Amino acid sequence: MRLSGTDRSRRLLTAGAGIVLAAVMSLVLIIGFRLATEIRASVGTLQRASELETYPSVVSEQLTALRERLDTLEYTGHVHAELAGSVRGFNQDLAALERQPGLDPAAMHAAAALWRSYAGVLTPVLAYDGEPYSDTATTSSLSRSGRVFYARVRRAELFAQTNAAALHRQLATVSASLQARTAAAAARLRLLLSGGVLAVLLLGLAAAYLQLARSRGERAAREAQEQTRDILATVREGFFLLDADYRIGAVWSQALTHLFARQDFAGLSFEELLRDKVPPETLATATKFIKLLWGERAHENLMKSINPLGQLEVSMDNGRGGKETRYLQFDFHRVMGPKGIKHVLCAVGDITSSVLLSRELHEAQENAHSQLDMMVGMLHSDPLQIGAFLDSASAGLKHINAILKEPARNHAEFSKKLAGLARELHSLKGEASALNLMSIAQRVHHLEDMVAQFKGRSELTGNDFLPLVLKLDELLAHLRGVREMTLRLSSLKQGTPAPEGTLSTPALRLGTNGPEEVASTLHSLARKLAQDHGKDFKLTLNGLADCPRAYLPTVKDCLIQMLRNAAVHGIEADAVRRAGAKSGSGQVRVDFRRVETGYELLFEDDGAGLSPEALKEAAVRRKILSAEQAAQLDNRASLALIFKPGFSTRTEVSMDAGRGAGMDVVAKAVYGLGGKIGVSTNPGRYTRFKIALPTASETAVA
Amino acid sequence: MLREEELKTFVDGTTRYFEVAAQQPATIGSPYLLEGEPAMQDYTGMINISGKREGVVYFTAPRAMLTVLLMKMQESDFSHESMRDLVGEVANTISGNARRDFGHDFVISVPSVFAGEKPQIAQPSGARAFVIPIHWRSHSAKLVVSLT
Repeated sequence: MRLSGTDRSRRLLTAGAGIVLAAVMSLVLIIGFRLATEIRASVGTLQRASELETYPSVVSEQLTALRERLDTLEYTGHVHAELAGSVRGFNQDLAALERQPGLDPAAMHAAAALWRSYAGVLTPVLAYDGEPYSDTATTSSLSRSGRVFYARVRRAELFAQTNAAALHRQLATVSASLQARTAAAAARLRLLLSGGVLAVLLLGLAAAYLQLARSRGERAAREAQEQTRDILATVREGFFLLDADYRIGAVWSQALTHLFARQDFAGLSFEELLRDKVPPETLATATKFIKLLWGERAHENLMKSINPLGQLEVSMDNGRGGKETRYLQFDFHRVMGPKGIKHVLCAVGDITSSVLLSRELHEAQENAHSQLDMMVGMLHSDPLQIGAFLDSASAGLKHINAILKEPARNHAEFSKKLAGLARELHSLKGEASALNLMSIAQRVHHLEDMVAQFKGRSELTGNDFLPLVLKLDELLAHLRGVREMTLRLSSLKQGTPAPEGTLSTPALRLGTNGPEEVASTLHSLARKLAQDHGKDFKLTLNGLADCPRAYLPTVKDCLIQMLRNAAVHGIEADAVRRAGAKSGSGQVRVDFRRVETGYELLFEDDGAGLSPEALKEAAVRRKILSAEQAAQLDNRASLALIFKPGFSTRTEVSMDAGRGAGMDVVAKAVYGLGGKIGVSTNPGRYTRFKIALPTASETAVA
Repeated sequence: MLREEELKTFVDGTTRYFEVAAQQPATIGSPYLLEGEPAMQDYTGMINISGKREGVVYFTAPRAMLTVLLMKMQESDFSHESMRDLVGEVANTISGNARRDFGHDFVISVPSVFAGEKPQIAQPSGARAFVIPIHWRSHSAKLVVSLT
């Protein structure tokens, strides 16, 4: 801007000097012309005055000649005519001279007066037209009129001889004044011309200086342009200006061609720039934002804070016929002019590397945190339990993989897999949560999310399952890591290093899980659930030692699920319990005993109980039943709803409830062992589950 | 860990071959993780990958499927060599797709072809193999991706 201002000043000065030069030249020429005209007129007048100076002596000589001719009786006609001509000429010249301005008025007046006094003597001479001679036969003599004429001539001669010198002097004075005036005019003209030449010289110098300065300015401007060009060609960010029609201006930085893989930017609209590179909704948001930038009232800092293009994911041609994802950062600055916003300067940078790096860092941090959490969880858990869990998890994932491996070609076949996947995952998550292995539980939860999303789709294909199988692989790798860590921790506790990459610790390898471990797991889970959900309850376990080994894994899974249900749905918050005249601490009781027909497992909590109406409402909400079907259910049938797949009274999904895969899993596990499950409740007082299992030899069940 | 986009590139390369060569697109079945020995069928086209990722990708198909594919391609030669060439071409298309999407990050070998014999698979340690069934008409082939 500074250069441009200087350049403009110089241009103005040059133009001003040109105008002044033209004005001075015009003035000099006008004045010079007038002076020249004046001098020419003065010279003419001077010439006439000089001629007039000769007249007195001429008239005097002509009168003398006329008198001498009369004396000698010679012919006088032509002399008389010459005298008349001289007098006429004198009169005309004098009259003309008198009209000239600037003459010495006194001298002129005196000369004119003196000449007019000539008239008294000259007029009678000039008026004579008679015959001056009278001739006889022998002689000639003056005639009578001739004598009169002679006297008049003589008198005029004498007058002229007397006054000629004075008249000449007066006329000389007039001439001198005229000469002086002409000389003065000539001097003024000389001065004017000198001044004009000087002015031209000065202005010429000034113009030359300004031209020089302008050349320097132009050179500086050229250099500045070159520097700007260099900057625009070198800078790694893309810079361009947007006009009020949201179109790109004529100048942009070279980096844009790399960033957008095109060459034609001038006149391109911002929308065209991003079209086909971002999804339509992103494009619409970007266009709206650009329009907002032109609003005078929108604060620039505020606009920056809501910039939706701060990290824009774009899909670009990778130059090999494919596409690649890049991240661009757009920054906008308003360029203000006297009439408001003139342009919007847009700076674009490729932040792909930093975005990917930041993502990797975030993932690394997440991994570090989750590993730390896992280690903490593992330190608080029994390695035997973890080993048993890992074996059980591996078996679970193997089963999941087997479900995936089942051939599927259409939606129905793919959908068929979902229920089994959900059950396995839910059970696995429950076990991981019970052991406080949250990094595993979260990963399984994520897989559950994916399966839950599949349930809502109208068309499922193998493509949908690709991310699922990738996550499954990730989970397996994580389980390997957990197993390795468990080994190392176990070795540390025992004081002997574990051989690299082996699973030699007998307890871990066998993965046995006795009643004590199950009890420990359940107590640990109860503490965690109480803490997570802000509930206060006590878990009492009786008779688990009587549980056959073969039933123990299923019993554990069922108890984990029922315990989670009790913590989330059953046991009320302290305030609610106090209001209901219950003791502050909730009670959850588990009784396992041998009965005639086999075994019986009772699970009871003194919580809110089950409300048949609430169960029916939830079933309708989850589209398990229509409102009409729900209305026809009695209390017993309403309670049975909790065993339906996908049933949950929760509207939000959490780590512990809401998927509707809880009691469904329990019921299926019980039926799998040939058992039965029933539920009874007293709203506001308790919920009781009764599971009957048949007698069976451990080997047969195993 | 293998990324979804990477896996999709190989899957798309395979299904694209059927679409272009036979004008009849293939669909993919339910993907799973390979357990145990690689499930080889009659003919296998394989590419080895190194660079950003290490491992193998192979397409293995039964003879019946390849015969029908050749017929759809108006071929009349159903010899052993034609079958070998065909799985080689599929592997080549997978390779081209990967080059297009990954550029120089992946160094991809020329395809090698196996028929009947058990191939020497340089499966990278610590990498599981993803099996993606490829269904075309009534036949099924398998795409196996095993990359670190």
